[in-house]
Amino acid sequence: MSVTIYLSNDTSARAAGADRLAAAWAEVSDVHIVRTSSRGAFFLEPLAERDGPHGRLLWPRANRDDLTRIRHGAGGITLADVPFLAQQTRAVFARFGTAQPLLLEEYRANGGWRGWERADGLPSEAVIAEMKSSGLRGRGGAAFPIWYKWDAASQHRADRKYVVANADEGDAGTYCDRMIMEGEPFRLIEGMLICAKAIGADRGYIYCRWEYPAAAATMESAIAEAERAGLLTIDQRPFRLEVFRGAGSYVCGEETALLSSLEGGRGMVKVRPPYPAEAGLYGKPTVVSNVLTFATVAEIMARGADWHAALGTEGSKGLIALQLGGRIRQPGLVEIPFGATLADVLERFGGGMVEGSRFKAVQVGGPLGSLFPESRLSIPLCFDRFSEAGAVLGHGGIVVFDHETDMVELARHYMTFTADESCGKCAPCRIGSVRARELLERIERRNGTREDLALLADLGATMKATSLCAHGGRAPYPVLTAIEHFGDDFDRRLTTRSQK
Amino acid sequence: MSPSETLALQRALEQHRPESGEPANILRTLIGVQRILGYVPASAIGPVADALRVPEAHVAGVLSYYPDLHAAPRGRRVVRVCLGEACVANRSCDVLAECQRILGIGIGETTKDGRTTLERVYCLGNCGVGPTVMIDETIYGRVCPSDMGTVLSQVDDRPI
Repeated sequence: MSVTIYLSNDTSARAAGADRLAAAWAEVSDVHIVRTSSRGAFFLEPLAERDGPHGRLLWPRANRDDLTRIRHGAGGITLADVPFLAQQTRAVFARFGTAQPLLLEEYRANGGWRGWERADGLPSEAVIAEMKSSGLRGRGGAAFPIWYKWDAASQHRADRKYVVANADEGDAGTYCDRMIMEGEPFRLIEGMLICAKAIGADRGYIYCRWEYPAAAATMESAIAEAERAGLLTIDQRPFRLEVFRGAGSYVCGEETALLSSLEGGRGMVKVRPPYPAEAGLYGKPTVVSNVLTFATVAEIMARGADWHAALGTEGSKGLIALQLGGRIRQPGLVEIPFGATLADVLERFGGGMVEGSRFKAVQVGGPLGSLFPESRLSIPLCFDRFSEAGAVLGHGGIVVFDHETDMVELARHYMTFTADESCGKCAPCRIGSVRARELLERIERRNGTREDLALLADLGATMKATSLCAHGGRAPYPVLTAIEHFGDDFDRRLTTRSQK
Repeated sequence: MSPSETLALQRALEQHRPESGEPANILRTLIGVQRILGYVPASAIGPVADALRVPEAHVAGVLSYYPDLHAAPRGRRVVRVCLGEACVANRSCDVLAECQRILGIGIGETTKDGRTTLERVYCLGNCGVGPTVMIDETIYGRVCPSDMGTVLSQVDDRPI
């Protein structure tokens, strides 16, 4: 009897061995392999699935020899058996793990493209009003109200306007944009079309970092497919959409740097205003949002603004896509309403520390976010509460560090990254990050003094107050929160210092 | 540049000549040149500037800005070890140290036989199955330092 086995084609599933399984099983007669998007439960990958009497059956961490069991349906678990997945509120990622990424008909048959169909029948003001009442804020880090950008770009008269998807997902510990591009590329196209319709744009770009070769290739194929199907048309006018590949610069995730890079120049930050919505790419009105934001736009148009506005907290409507990683048992994508506490998320989804490890700290919001010790985990995951605490949700990355992590080394690591990636436009970031790195290196070598810590604090305050963009302005946070919460690690290095 | 490289460059520039009314794109052109030649030689800056009708300084400025544009040839294979925080939390620094030991080179260096370049990278978005190593465009997950000998020798067995 022939059997269809589903294996994810996501980069992380492939890195965990899905390709090896697919290659081995493809040679067996009567076995049909289908490559799908990923459920994002990466601790289960490679995850083999087949259809069972009541939905999918799952074989986590499958190996070649599992084929016999899978053929007979023996030992497979159901989705309900995986609390990591069963406890989530999936919307953008609801179909992940079930469908083939590049089958447009499958996407449409499963409920995709409905957001665009609805937007297509509405005047642009109504689409913007829908965004306003949904309460959607940008998911890339700045959390700016989406409708406001769209409204500004729509009001500005220009012979050309652009929609740009920021797929330069550079925050370490984040991968939800990559998952969307690899797993449901038509969703990104749909969200960008809705935005283009609302602001009157006829061109779009997806600025994809080079570190995501599979995502860029999938997007290019999906665009070609959508074009073939005649779907890249807005009000009877063609919408031209292209993938643009970056060349490895973290700062290009900042929107003005991204636009400079998209124009082909050095990816350096510009002073705002003017904001891109007024004068962006080639000086024309441009809406820049990250991939997850556009993916959410499609969902809001399909389900209605009220659906979105009813989820989350007062200032943070909707769902947050958290990306768990680091020293925990269950790394993966968690989509839940805003407002759950950090402790709750780690407990319910993280699955505890890996064997032999004890919790030390958690980093939220990537390299520009803050470190939290165990005593601060009661903070709810929403924009306002994080802002009050001087922290950011950023791109939703959550990285857990264990007891063996040396906070001096980690702080030096963060500042090395900041210095490596500074675009060099403004002095506080260009020079400050190098000086801060040098101070941390000195402390790491046990040559640092207490005055060096005071200098770091002073330098950090200057960088925060005077840097042109968040790269320099937020880079001190991981270092300063490391010193604040894990002072012992620093003191230990100071007390045994050699005399200079 | 060798005559064959010069010819390849000319072909690449044909593809990136801007359409009428469209602005030239230096970055896209340099990525295209690098895809064909493996790097962007200094002698290509003049022809690129001519083809795009931009000053040579602009081309050189873009070339020097981006970490993934290379002005010198690199190894035939590039090994990148992820130093994003999720991988660092899972000891990717030990993986990097082991790569340095096996290859006998530091970060950003190329082995004497020109075979392998070692680099660090800040996050490949593979955090769910880290520590991560990328060799050319293939991504390896859950890598331990002790795996690196095998991984590197398997790659060495592949035809270049």
